[in-house]
Amino acid sequence: MFYRRAGIRFTRYRDERQIWPLPLDRRLMLLVLLLALAAPYLLDRLYLVGYLLPWLIWATAALGLNLLMGTAGQVHLGYGAVIGMGAYGSVHLVRAGAPLELAMLAGGLISAAVGIVFGAAALRVKGLYLAMATLAMQYIVDFVISHVPFISGGSQATITVPPVRFLGIPIVGDAAVYYMALGVCIVVTLFMLNVRRTAFGRALAAVREKDYAAEVIGVDTFRFKLLAFWVSSFIGGVVGSVLAVCYLRSISPDQFHIELSIQLVAMVIVGGMGSVLGSFFGAALILFAPIVLNNLIGFMADSMDMQISTDLRAHVPLMLYGGLIVGFLLWEPLGLAKIYNNMRNYFLVWPFRHAQR
Amino acid sequence: MDWLLLAELGINGIFVGLMYGLVALGIVLIYKTSGLANLAQGALAMTGAYAAWAISVPLGLPIWLAIPLALVAMFCFGAITERLALRRMIGQPVIMAIMLTLGIEIMLRGLLPGFAGAAVKRLDIGIPVTPLFVGDLLLNRATLIGGTVSFAMILLSLLLFNSRLGVVMRAVSDDQTASWAVGIRVERAIAISWGLAAASATVAGVIWGATQGVDWSLSLLLIKALAIAILGGLDSIPGVLIAGVIVGVAESVATGILDPLVGGGTRDIVASVIILLTLLLKPHGLFGREHIERI
Amino acid sequence: MQIDRRNMLAGMGAAALASQVPVRVAFGQDKTIRFLLTQDFTRVYTFVTAEYSQGQRDYISLINERGGIGGHKIVAEVSDHGNDLPRAIESYERAKAQGMVLVDPLSTPVARALVTRVLADKVNMITAFSGRSDAADGSVFPYIFPLSPNYWTQMGLLIDYFRQTDGNLKGKKICFVHIDTPFGKEPLPILEALRDKLGYELQTFPYTPPGNDQSAIWPQVRRARPDWVVFWGAGVGQTVALTEAIRNGIRMDRMSSSVWLSESDMDVVGREQAKGVLKIDPCVLGREAKPIQAILDTVVKPGKGAGPENKVGTVYYSYGVMITALILEGVRKAFEIAPNGPISGPWLNAGLHAIKDFTADGMIPATTITTADHQGGGKGRISRWDGGKFTPITDWYSANQDVVWAEVKKYSSEFAKTGK
Repeated sequence: MFYRRAGIRFTRYRDERQIWPLPLDRRLMLLVLLLALAAPYLLDRLYLVGYLLPWLIWATAALGLNLLMGTAGQVHLGYGAVIGMGAYGSVHLVRAGAPLELAMLAGGLISAAVGIVFGAAALRVKGLYLAMATLAMQYIVDFVISHVPFISGGSQATITVPPVRFLGIPIVGDAAVYYMALGVCIVVTLFMLNVRRTAFGRALAAVREKDYAAEVIGVDTFRFKLLAFWVSSFIGGVVGSVLAVCYLRSISPDQFHIELSIQLVAMVIVGGMGSVLGSFFGAALILFAPIVLNNLIGFMADSMDMQISTDLRAHVPLMLYGGLIVGFLLWEPLGLAKIYNNMRNYFLVWPFRHAQR
Repeated sequence: MDWLLLAELGINGIFVGLMYGLVALGIVLIYKTSGLANLAQGALAMTGAYAAWAISVPLGLPIWLAIPLALVAMFCFGAITERLALRRMIGQPVIMAIMLTLGIEIMLRGLLPGFAGAAVKRLDIGIPVTPLFVGDLLLNRATLIGGTVSFAMILLSLLLFNSRLGVVMRAVSDDQTASWAVGIRVERAIAISWGLAAASATVAGVIWGATQGVDWSLSLLLIKALAIAILGGLDSIPGVLIAGVIVGVAESVATGILDPLVGGGTRDIVASVIILLTLLLKPHGLFGREHIERI
Repeated sequence: MQIDRRNMLAGMGAAALASQVPVRVAFGQDKTIRFLLTQDFTRVYTFVTAEYSQGQRDYISLINERGGIGGHKIVAEVSDHGNDLPRAIESYERAKAQGMVLVDPLSTPVARALVTRVLADKVNMITAFSGRSDAADGSVFPYIFPLSPNYWTQMGLLIDYFRQTDGNLKGKKICFVHIDTPFGKEPLPILEALRDKLGYELQTFPYTPPGNDQSAIWPQVRRARPDWVVFWGAGVGQTVALTEAIRNGIRMDRMSSSVWLSESDMDVVGREQAKGVLKIDPCVLGREAKPIQAILDTVVKPGKGAGPENKVGTVYYSYGVMITALILEGVRKAFEIAPNGPISGPWLNAGLHAIKDFTADGMIPATTITTADHQGGGKGRISRWDGGKFTPITDWYSANQDVVWAEVKKYSSEFAKTGK
């Protein structure tokens, strides 16, 4: 069909090692990028603020977690706390008068510094035990944030983000906010696309497959596990400041609870572990499935006069959320990215299925 | 320092800890046979409590009949969950299995309040509420009875591991392939461990449901149960007993001593700190078996 | 047409798509006034939302049955945000595209996240019994309406009742058992300010949210031998607090809570055992109030009720009716001020600010909303559980408003400085 790889032959290794070796993919990406840039002018505010913005932010967060879970194979059930630390760190700095660019980086550094402490737990324990250690971290960070009045902001426990400028542009209105989130998302995405082609990424992959074996072939597992935690927490911290400045606008401790962590892990799993595209798919599905379903049920109840009890109606999204996680793990453990890949591979050689490699 | 208060908190803590231990028992049972941590254990307790409530209140059966019925139903439910979902996870990375149980947890938390109603339900198993004084100490009847029942259940499961079925389960936990080779039905043993875990969760759910009412918050028992299971060692039943008492007393006393100092409810933090310290200092818990990894 | 799987799927797909497209209506064209009642049915506020929402919808149905207001029907869109911000903001933006003029999220985190949005968009937000307590200051939060005594006021009312009962609080001991969240810690400054003024002794006991295990708290409360106990929580925390208090032999007639105590809590605790416990009423409870009678006659009897009939008149149902009555009074006033609209956020805002001495046929204390005071005077009364219902034991009164407003101003002025 529109995917064609016939007649494309690479003559240099460099060509084949590109991020997108097929011209079609490159054009597709360019199109997506152009659409993303034009979105504030094309889309209604509802879709821009209600869908696109949270999608970008959550997908960026999922990418950061994916580096840890998919690329380095380390479980993290406390990523929400990492994001929370970044958000609180940067908002406090901005309120103290620091410019947003610096505050964002500092938020990332704070998250990275605390994240690495808990990453140290990864050196002694792994798998199941690491999951428990990060879970404990989530609760401890929650507790500290909400119980230190200096951090949480007194008895109201809400701190408001003051008006800020980013690279000289005031972050007000929908378009500026959207472009800022988009910019961070693009940077993180490019990093994630390229990380697997670096020595760092290959070392992480070795650690993921079997850390003892990696040690045997000369990869310093100690260093790379810590680095993986550091980088991933840094991304988490930056996303935290974007989340606070662009989306939440006033932060309180309950926004970074265990639910956020589970949501992000679910996004990574539903999307596909280790897949960049999958993080975007996963974020979209986990974020919007409850919304879409809610609207659908509301529509059915209104227009078709179906009687659904409030309790049932209200709990359907939760069932669906759990069902999605269970369903994907059972039937497509590689997630939405794998489904997309299957379709793409099918169409690449369509209609000559036998040519599939 | 008010020693009487501490004594009272300590005694109550022991019994509450045992009640938490009953939830942890299920985690240990499953880990022992299949090597998975079941993060749905709290939700199983909630499901069990809902089951007992559904049989006793809407169906109108007496509570002493409803509890055994709920136990049987939940045993089947646990075994079926294992058969339909967890068995497909064999050979997958550990995060997959953890997330699967977490997915089941979320699903149960949606299903039960969705169909049975979200409001808190009263589950009356006939424990009188009048205070019980021993000298100057007050003992809470509900936790006293709950803790005793939990203690009995944990002892019972210790005995179980000396029966024929228990020997089979121990063999499976030692080496699945070898047990298979000598003709043990490994899948059956794992399914039974899930059934037993669900049944013990039901008892825990009924006990907790009687003290706090039945609603989704029963699934929050999970974090305490995890702390106990990890502190005691994930594959040790005596560990559950001792770690349960330690966690219960630590939490209870921390509430008495730390709370006024910190100015906040430290109860959940105690569980988290215990998890973290155990993992950093002695990852396999007090009584857990050291796990040797081969390349 | 033959119904096979493909047709079914296509139909379902079409329905799924159709349901996502917001119905866009221009203001004032179709004679409706749109409210968004997106609330938390599933996570934290489960204990209250179902009944509260039922009360709101039934009252709206009552007014619509009577022909609406000013020839306009009220359309309330009810949805669940599950205390999850992306979902809440999506439904807010969606409803705003449809011309919604008022939102009632009934959730503190969501209300906080929406504050800057509604102030910028000029949409009215109701934060009854939730949200920021300093939103009572209408000069800083012109579009945010608590319309009900906030937690600081409620605590002020309780302390004043203790003072009335005991004559003098000097040397008395008050134990404050609260959930360890911002909501639970909120009354602390009021308690401390009044302690300095009245000279009572204060001991506070935080418990971990959601409060399903408080077994270590109540022995300490018992040993403190308090004269009064105030327990401050919500949902399961309240019932567990009461049960544990009973097990520790604490006198029920010395126990009191905020507005968050209902019949269903009493069912969980045991109706007889909880006899004597006190709570704050912001409105008349039960079925005797005139608006509830009207709802029973016009809405519930013909089978148009929004939920089970036995819930009509319960505590949280009454709160829903109370808040909706105040909102619709605002709509009525808005029509008096500008009969021809256009219906918009600022239009309704003017109406809400014009509410004066409104009593909802005697269901609520006379409430006046001004541009300065969005709380409506801060009146309430104390009622006591008698084993079957909450019976009022005081008249409507307001107390300690000076302390409350000092606290309100402290936080609102800070928001005025950094927010926007």
